Amino acid sequence: MLNKIKSSKGIVTAVWVLGLMVIWEICAFIVGATQRTPINVLPHLYQIFGSFFDPKPITGSGDTIATLVFSSAAETLSRALIGFVIGMLLGYALALFMNLSHIVEKIAFPYLMIIQMIPILGMAPIVLSITGDISSARIVIAAILTFYPVSTNTLAGFKSVGRERHELMKSYGANKFQLYIKMLIPSAMSYFFTGLKISAPMAITASILVDTLQGGNGLGCMLSQSLKGSMTRFVFWDIVIFSAVIGVLSFYLMGVIERAISPSKRKAKKLNNGKD
Amino acid sequence: MKSKAIRNVLTTVGLPVLFGVIIFTLWQTKVLHALFGTDEIILPLPTRIGSIISDNFTSMLPQITSTLIVALGGLVLGSILGYFIGVAGAVFKKWGMAGLTIVPASNAIPLVALAPVINNWTRNLSGVVDIRSTVAKIITVTIFCTASMSVNAYRGLTEVKPFSEDLFASYGSSKLRMFFKLRLPNSLPYVFTALRVSVPSCVIGAVVSEYFAEQVIGVGRQIRENIVKGQFPTAWAYIAIACAMGILMYVILLIVESIVLKNRRAR
Amino acid sequence: MSEKVNVPEISVKNVSMVFSDSKGNPVQALKDVSIDIQKGEFISLLGPSGCGKSTLLRIVSDLLTPTSGEVTVCGKTPKETRLEQKFGIVFQNPVLLDWRTVRKNIRLPLEMMKVPKEEQASRIEQVLELVGLKEFGNSYPGQLSGGMQQRVGIARALAIQPDILLMDEPFSALDEFTREKLNDDVLHIWRKTNKTVLFVTHNISESVYMSDRICVLSPHPGRLSAIVDVNLPRPRTPEMRGTPEFAALVEKVRNSFEGI
Repeated sequence: MLNKIKSSKGIVTAVWVLGLMVIWEICAFIVGATQRTPINVLPHLYQIFGSFFDPKPITGSGDTIATLVFSSAAETLSRALIGFVIGMLLGYALALFMNLSHIVEKIAFPYLMIIQMIPILGMAPIVLSITGDISSARIVIAAILTFYPVSTNTLAGFKSVGRERHELMKSYGANKFQLYIKMLIPSAMSYFFTGLKISAPMAITASILVDTLQGGNGLGCMLSQSLKGSMTRFVFWDIVIFSAVIGVLSFYLMGVIERAISPSKRKAKKLNNGKD
Repeated sequence: MKSKAIRNVLTTVGLPVLFGVIIFTLWQTKVLHALFGTDEIILPLPTRIGSIISDNFTSMLPQITSTLIVALGGLVLGSILGYFIGVAGAVFKKWGMAGLTIVPASNAIPLVALAPVINNWTRNLSGVVDIRSTVAKIITVTIFCTASMSVNAYRGLTEVKPFSEDLFASYGSSKLRMFFKLRLPNSLPYVFTALRVSVPSCVIGAVVSEYFAEQVIGVGRQIRENIVKGQFPTAWAYIAIACAMGILMYVILLIVESIVLKNRRAR
Repeated sequence: MSEKVNVPEISVKNVSMVFSDSKGNPVQALKDVSIDIQKGEFISLLGPSGCGKSTLLRIVSDLLTPTSGEVTVCGKTPKETRLEQKFGIVFQNPVLLDWRTVRKNIRLPLEMMKVPKEEQASRIEQVLELVGLKEFGNSYPGQLSGGMQQRVGIARALAIQPDILLMDEPFSALDEFTREKLNDDVLHIWRKTNKTVLFVTHNISESVYMSDRICVLSPHPGRLSAIVDVNLPRPRTPEMRGTPEFAALVEKVRNSFEGI
């Protein structure tokens, strides 16, 4: 029964994606009939996909769109990943310190709230001029954006551990280290991953935005060059689709990693499937 | 007991303020500059930023209003659109749920990519640059604010207390009545949950959409323009204003929320 | 009544507990409670919510410190006894770690007590056998029913081979059928292991069925209003629940509450 619901949910999702594609195509058809340069407004999906796999080189160095997108993606996404990891580690460490010490918690908590309210992405240009280097700027912005969700969610995870669980550990005479290793850290794991799921796409978006502020080799740089007309407009559309796909994949990747490291989730799921 | 409560308030307010004062002092005495390896030109002193804002506030006002219109316009439109998507999802439950699992994915689409395309969409809307550019920016912010509202509205409309649907059915009430008497009120706290996400992001959306807009106006555009021109203190002044806008709107939201949901909180 | 000559296993003398509520006003949770519990006894703490029965259990096990009064366990302070890991506690919720299998959940306290690996394994098998969950050792808690989860909680408490078993409303979330089955199981385990049991409940017939003595606690403030001896023969059997003697005891306990 459950299996059936699951697979039908997959079908429903597929229908939704197809539906969105159909709407896109209808709009593209209307745009194509009414606009002078439809490629600037909304090209057909098949044109976009076709251009991506077009073997014709578009730059002097012989890059096709696909190789260009992949090489700039490597440039941007590797920095996004570094920033993501740094932000994750710092965020986790802060959550840990806040839970360990009331003083740290009281100092940091209001500032953590304020970080959430200020437009970090708006500060990208100034970060770029402080670091003076686009790669470091990407890393810094991605790290700041990752930091906040990881920190608040992990802290919420630590706080969610109920009184009885603390009492259980106390009744065994557990020390702080044992309490964290055996109880708090595993309990907070799903909260930690909630934070990662929020921040992974954000880190990618942020790195691309930083790219657009300055020339270079990143995804965002290609995006703005294509908009300015120095290479075909399809580069722009391909990057839009590509970054959307990568963003969504990064979200799901976090879920995959979570399931891989927590066998209880995997097994419970398997049993449910088998039972019904 | 009373003295304990007083000490609690003192540490909760006092410690963060103390920390802020320390950072401010380090910044003002240029220790921060040494730490980051930067200078007073790129990272001006707080007093300098403050004096720029107070001296030029009247000339900054049109920029602020422009950004505020875009941010609030997008927030309102996005929230309404998002709520209606949530309602649609709740009405067509099976199809809605799967649809709304796709919605968070739209957050993963870089806003930067949207902004220039939307400029193209609005090109034929009006001959006046100001109008079509403002519309383009508002559309960008709208898209930014839709996702969180639609997901939360859907949850608020469907996650009602166990058996309350059965209770309404036992009264023989129609679906429409159940919607207005049960689902709609139930979704209110969820609406505020969504706004807590979308209020900060509408400011971010407005600032970033200005980077790509045709019209050269707004707090975000000023940050960028002034950096390009090398006028870092002015850029910082606009950054401070953007932060203040975000914080102010969030505080207003919290106040409204505490009034509207006053009697909902469990004692 | 036959006097027992040995020192009580648990001695509670004039214990009072005052909490402060969210506004800082004092709330008296326990007032002047004294109980002596002998080794091997099965004692119930019975009362409605707010009578301080769980608070008393937490004071005995050093999870809370009383405002005034004295508690000794095995002639020592509760803290010393806790650090010697003489308490096995079963909570209202089974408090199982959902990322560990049943076996690994039971192993948790043994890891912290630094019990040798081979002994861990043999103890785990032994307690799994005792609670009748042999085949479920490798299941995850999420795969078990509520009653089975609570059995794991009991097995985990027994695995540390405690002198004293403290049970805080362990079956209040279970249905009547499961509860009565587990009542018999706990009595069976108690007979086999001969532990001192402190059993917190708000179910009158459950306390009569299980206990040697029932401490009846009344609320506002939490106080001991009566100690009722249960002179039903052991072993208790389900048939006893229908006897006039049983009904009379239930009635007697019900009448001993004050001010509810």
